[in-house]
Amino acid sequence: MKKLLALVMTLAMLLSMTAFASAQSSLAVSLSSEPDTLDPALNSAVDGATMIVHLFSGLAAWTQDAEGKFVIAPDAAVELPEGVANEDGSVTYTYTLKDGLVWSDGQPLTAKDFEFAWKRAASTELGADYGYMFEIVKGYGTPDLAVSAKDDKTLEVTINNAASYWNELLAFPVYFPVREDVVGNEAWATDPSTYVGNGPYTMTGWEHNSVITLTKNANYHDADKVTMEELKFYLSDDSNNMLANFKNGTWLLIDDVPTSEIAALKTEYPNEFVIAGQLGTYYVNMNVNKNLLPADSTLTGVELEKANAEVRKALALLFDRNYVVNDIAQGGQTPASSFVAMGLTDADGTEFYQNAGHSEEFDGYYNVAEDAYEGNFEAAMEILKKYYTYDEATGMFTNFPTMEYLYNTSEGHKAIAEYLQSVFAGVGVGMNLTNQEWNTFLNTRKEGNYEVARNGWIGDYNDPISFLDMWTSGSGNNDVQFGKGAHAELAMYNLDLTPFGLETKVENGTWAETYDVLISAVKASTDNEARFAMMHLAEDMLMETGCLIPVYYYTDLYMISEKVDGFYSIPLGYKYFMYTTVAQ
Amino acid sequence: MNAKMAFYLMKRVLLAIVTIWIVITITFFVMHAVPGGPFMSEKAISKEAQAALEAKYGLDKPLWEQYTTYLQGILTQFDFGPSLKQRGRSVINVIMDGMKTSAKLGAIAAVSAAAVGIVLGAVAALRRNKLVDKTIMVITTAFVSMPSFIMGSFLLIVFSVQLRLLPANGSTSAGLILPVITLALYPMAYITRLTRSSMLDVLGQDYIRTARAKGVAGRNIIFGHALKNALIPVITYFGPMLAFILTGSMVVEQIFAVPGIGR
Repeated sequence: MKKLLALVMTLAMLLSMTAFASAQSSLAVSLSSEPDTLDPALNSAVDGATMIVHLFSGLAAWTQDAEGKFVIAPDAAVELPEGVANEDGSVTYTYTLKDGLVWSDGQPLTAKDFEFAWKRAASTELGADYGYMFEIVKGYGTPDLAVSAKDDKTLEVTINNAASYWNELLAFPVYFPVREDVVGNEAWATDPSTYVGNGPYTMTGWEHNSVITLTKNANYHDADKVTMEELKFYLSDDSNNMLANFKNGTWLLIDDVPTSEIAALKTEYPNEFVIAGQLGTYYVNMNVNKNLLPADSTLTGVELEKANAEVRKALALLFDRNYVVNDIAQGGQTPASSFVAMGLTDADGTEFYQNAGHSEEFDGYYNVAEDAYEGNFEAAMEILKKYYTYDEATGMFTNFPTMEYLYNTSEGHKAIAEYLQSVFAGVGVGMNLTNQEWNTFLNTRKEGNYEVARNGWIGDYNDPISFLDMWTSGSGNNDVQFGKGAHAELAMYNLDLTPFGLETKVENGTWAETYDVLISAVKASTDNEARFAMMHLAEDMLMETGCLIPVYYYTDLYMISEKVDGFYSIPLGYKYFMYTTVAQ
Repeated sequence: MNAKMAFYLMKRVLLAIVTIWIVITITFFVMHAVPGGPFMSEKAISKEAQAALEAKYGLDKPLWEQYTTYLQGILTQFDFGPSLKQRGRSVINVIMDGMKTSAKLGAIAAVSAAAVGIVLGAVAALRRNKLVDKTIMVITTAFVSMPSFIMGSFLLIVFSVQLRLLPANGSTSAGLILPVITLALYPMAYITRLTRSSMLDVLGQDYIRTARAKGVAGRNIIFGHALKNALIPVITYFGPMLAFILTGSMVVEQIFAVPGIGR
């Protein structure tokens, strides 16, 4: 009996000692389930990006300044110099790498590695989701991407035109270096033994579906600043399980919480439950080629599209965004009144969405204040009464054709769809709901085989163009089908770029002649103010079609223990743990 | 093993192979008939990149050729092809990773369910209508009627969130304790009840009375005669129990974040 007692005591001591040690130097968190890939070029997930920023170091990185603002600072590069403008409007940047940079396996890192990595990430053969992030670099789409290593420490790159977000791109994982002999092995990024990076940490363990372990990299050029010795990313796809592990103190940060618990957690953990902004918009998109007018309508062509646009805009005013946010989504989201999300900055440093639309009274294109809903509803009804037969006795429209709403299978999307359905049904507008599995859904929406569909877009960098260039007629993300099918023929849009010193002036042009031209002009513009004014113009055009119905701006919900100090998360959703310390 | 038995076994094995082949074929063609594809993503990639990826994975070839290549891989090397989602890993690799953990979890659960269940069942039968028996019966009735997702959540809340005794995630050995218990409780309770009733049956048989009359020691009667015969119906339950544990582990793995095949 005594022996047993002694054994138990020793075990208890050992356990408490390991607990003591781990609280000091190791941080356990859970972001999501198993990442599809941790190859910086192939990754397109936010949780993957968080791990990659700990494993790699690009020319620049996101850091927090003294006031807590998020800024881009040089990382592997000595500094982030201004570019040199060329005659054709392109801009050339020359970067010098810091001295003594090495890979985690000790081999020297050279500018050649950057050149190789960028060409690889942009290549068609790799087919990376984020390959298009190199679109701004001269020669994108050809084998000669304009990036080259002048010597071991000098990297030269030419971009098509000046862009205020260029430095931000350098901090984006797809711009991180990889070494040719490492990635030659296709499975390199799936196993710690073949995973070679150059960041603050190295991967020392990956138990698939279980845990990824990162250990501080002594070879990192800024290793002195890294305070956390070890990071453990637990992989879980069950938010209830994450919460249990948070509550019992095992995981100090969890990036997902059960929706049904949000209200309780807000009051139970006021300091640990965090609602952070995210650059994204949840919206409903309508197929531009689907007619919503009654069957007996005699309108055709341009007149028909104008009427449809008016109807679509009216539908956008019928429902209450505050209800969606507060009672359905419940994640602290903000009701949206524009497509370009909250959090993106305008030319003067203010929020882009606040300057959107043309109202003095409210931000964006509609008034989404709680007390404005009734007025919006009445206004929408007046518009709809112009086109549909209204039965005063029942308060319903009798000849609105039934629509079909498509969403990908998920409880959250379903709840929003059902809310919209009930609101529309209240005025006699029928809407059937259809759901499809994710890949099928993406395909259906892309091909335009739908009438109304849910949609969402998360910006890749803080510039509105990442929300606007997806709506050009040739874009692969143009789910609305602008400039495709019958819409391609409709000459009804105006564009006047003369105020910006350009010669373009189109009256009654097609989508391709106006919107596509406008986006090209934005991309080619070197005048920042004109560029932003043109982007407002582009958003005006989009909203005027009524095809995009913003619902809310996304938020990033997470819980972080009060014991953790020195943590930050940027609006792109990346979380930074390298400078953290954990209190006892 | 006689010829009849060998023939029977061969027939079953052949049937199993044919069944698997049919499942593979149907899955293969249905997956190819579904619109969209493995390279669809919210951020659309260019048509050229899509084509390059399809060529890389042989998805540009005629469907029939893809099918035969796939079958050939399975037959000759047990190779189910590369994972299209997790680049650089093979399908068999992804499955095996999860299978190891699931098998461990399932095996421990099955063995403990059988061991505990048989002992409890025997004890209950021998102490028929005593307090021990009644307690065991009440508890096992509760376990038999409680689905694993309720039991799992209950254990999770009590032992990891409230008492903080055991981890809530199954990535470590200690983390397997709760999932094993959750998974084992139902078959354990079932086996207990089964052993009890079949033991009672046997204990009432003539040959037990004969053995007693002969003066065989009580222990020998129980282990040598009663239990041995009472276990026959219990053993036949092992087959369905394995199936239960295999399917039940999906739920349990989800609740406790166990890195098994169920996730």
